[in-house]
Amino acid sequence: MGSDDILRTHLQELRRGTVVVASLIALRRPDYGYALLQRLTGHGFPVDANTLYPLLRRLEEQGLLTSEWNTEESRPRKFYRTSDQGESMLRRLLDDLAAVQTSLTGLIEGVDR
Amino acid sequence: MTSLTDRYLAATLRSVPAPRRAEIATELRASIEDMIEDRTAGGQDTTTAEREVLTELGNPAQLAARYADRRLQLIGPTYYLAWQRLLMLLLSFVPATVGILVGLLEATDGDQVGGAVGAGITTALQVAVQIAFWVTLVFAILERTNIPLNLPDWTVDQLPENHSHRQITITDTAAAIGFLALVIAYLPIQQFRSFVTDGTGGNLPILDPALWSFWLPYLIAVLVATIGLEIAKHRAGQWTWPLFGANVLLDLAFAVPVIWLLLTDRLLNPEFVARFEWLGRGDNLDRAATVAVVVTILITGWDAVDSAIKTYRNRH
Repeated sequence: MGSDDILRTHLQELRRGTVVVASLIALRRPDYGYALLQRLTGHGFPVDANTLYPLLRRLEEQGLLTSEWNTEESRPRKFYRTSDQGESMLRRLLDDLAAVQTSLTGLIEGVDR
Repeated sequence: MTSLTDRYLAATLRSVPAPRRAEIATELRASIEDMIEDRTAGGQDTTTAEREVLTELGNPAQLAARYADRRLQLIGPTYYLAWQRLLMLLLSFVPATVGILVGLLEATDGDQVGGAVGAGITTALQVAVQIAFWVTLVFAILERTNIPLNLPDWTVDQLPENHSHRQITITDTAAAIGFLALVIAYLPIQQFRSFVTDGTGGNLPILDPALWSFWLPYLIAVLVATIGLEIAKHRAGQWTWPLFGANVLLDLAFAVPVIWLLLTDRLLNPEFVARFEWLGRGDNLDRAATVAVVVTILITGWDAVDSAIKTYRNRH
């Protein structure tokens, strides 16, 4: 395994949980699958379509997202929105993400270079 | 709607739970069309765009597994170690035991040595394959139904004793040498006191006295060499490939002549055979010889396999 592959694996591990956090933030404003994918990519969260679509359904089943069909446009689209439960979950996740950043900063400052 | 997307949807939805199928179909179709539209707006033709989008979504079976939250592994980390341990435990003794039993049964049934040994080995292999299949099947089902195993948590008390430099204990060596010494002592003793008497009350040797000219001293020499091997093994503390080689050579040096003598009816004393009416009747002598040959082959084979496994485990 080359060092590029190793780096890719570690980055993947690091990014894995952030797609959920990013989706919950982005869906404070309701959106459908592909539009969300483009918004996330635009904000520096590249995510595969075959990961995002099933993920949205799973978050909906867990009650973190609510959905509504919009049939007014050319094709029927399912719009997802972060639920109240999703919002409180998101706050916990963001707190933890901040805590990780704080701990990292503390560790970096505490270690002599 | 073009047919590639239809086929992709059909392939994906096939393994998605039925109640959610229609809804996923509508949503996924809309998403695919969104993606194609985005690309054709950038100047691509529809056919190429469709191919690219579907390629990006990837294998339908994998996408369906993600929708259904299904695991793409036969046995996952929750069950793997339990599966491996049970499989190794069963494979370590069940096939050999069943194989030897079947070989012996076969040997008492006819006088075909090759057939009996072959039947024993074939059965052992079949039993091994069956064990591997059924154990794996049960664990694959456990994995899919998420049944908790409720195994006790691991504790430090389960750590194995560190035998790495004492694979061969003094008890093993003493027992082996004791047994070999008994066999060596028995060979001359049976010549003079076999506890079998001829018609006039004299002693009747069990083994053919004619063998003293060469074969019995030869077998004693092999057994003495085997005692030397046991001592060398104890010195080394564990199996090594040279010890394994010497072990196989000595095993063969003992087993091959014994088998040959048995098959040519030269091992047992003819007067001893004549003393026992049962042995002289019909095929009984041949049958007894066949059983003895099969036992010898199976024990020799088992010893070779066993020492090979122990040696292989010591590789660093």
